[in-house]
Amino acid sequence: MRILGVFAALAAVTIPASAHHSFAVYFDPEDTVVLEGTVTAFRFTNPHGTLVLDVDGQEWRAETNAPVVLRRRGWTRGSVRPGQHVTISGWRARDGRRYMRLREVRDEAGRMIGSAPFGKDDG
Amino acid sequence: MKRAAGLIAAALALMAAPAMPAAAQDSPPDFSGFWGPVFEPVEPAADMLAKLPDGTVLVEDTGVVEFPRGEFGGLDPTPEALAKAQEWQPEDDMTLDRVCLPPSIVYALQGPFPFEIHQTDELIVIRYEYFDQVRLVFMDDRTAPADYPHSKMGFSTGQWDGDELVIETTHIMPSTITNNGLDHSADLRMVERYRIDGESGRLVATQWFTDPSTITKDGVRWIEWEKREGQHVYPYECDPTFALEYAAQ
Repeated sequence: MRILGVFAALAAVTIPASAHHSFAVYFDPEDTVVLEGTVTAFRFTNPHGTLVLDVDGQEWRAETNAPVVLRRRGWTRGSVRPGQHVTISGWRARDGRRYMRLREVRDEAGRMIGSAPFGKDDG
Repeated sequence: MKRAAGLIAAALALMAAPAMPAAAQDSPPDFSGFWGPVFEPVEPAADMLAKLPDGTVLVEDTGVVEFPRGEFGGLDPTPEALAKAQEWQPEDDMTLDRVCLPPSIVYALQGPFPFEIHQTDELIVIRYEYFDQVRLVFMDDRTAPADYPHSKMGFSTGQWDGDELVIETTHIMPSTITNNGLDHSADLRMVERYRIDGESGRLVATQWFTDPSTITKDGVRWIEWEKREGQHVYPYECDPTFALEYAAQ
């Protein structure tokens, strides 16, 4: 498993907007995870999109903000595609499963998908 | 990030409950348009807080701020409501049959989603992006018909108090107050007071609510939205199969 970093400071100020369920209840703002892997699935439906990532044989799921929010940041359902190699960061589920809330996605060239990371001025 | 909630000073208000204004003015302001939530820290307007009942709790979970389990922003749950909140498990809401249930307007109003206002003299329509909900605010002095059903949006009537729009809502179906296990009853009453801030041009509001069977102190939120010309509400079309993704991991 390639967990590139687990650190605490990133989420200290801003917490991503929730759609249905509460970020504060489900995710740990002090447990930020950075992963590099291959996309195996991407769904783009409310209340949350989901990006499934193969990280050296382990499956991780990252839920996004509501796609209505993603669209205003320049995302489409084709922004991420299966087979694509990406690096993602976000906040891990409090229950310790390989599940997280997505902050940002960067492609293989290091370019961020969309116009801004999540957790800042959603809308 | 969350600031501690606090009691609004007793000196701010003398009224027992927010009163509906007695009369409307001839030319009310136009609130029509697309309004998006403001996430930067804001200070409530003292004169609007002063119109609230003594002892009202300022609940500071507006916008992106959320409370973790067991924290209710200064609201004081009754023993029954607290017991229910303590029994609540987050996973309970992440199932196929629940994940697309919209919250009531009590919680939905403060959320980080935009809405459109369509305003006439007799009726104001508020179209929320969050769960595609639509709210009717009757401006013609009607009252709720007998046996009017409860819903997540409730039954709303509005009046103008100078340049402020005052909306009273009842018939709200039980739902969450703080999105962490604390639910309101079917008897909750909510009074919102909206105006356009003269300096910022933002739409600002107090959202006051009382529900003695679940919270012993009345609550209020302060919320601000900014007008965004040329934007529109997107369809939400909640897909319950998201719950399968959560369960899969």
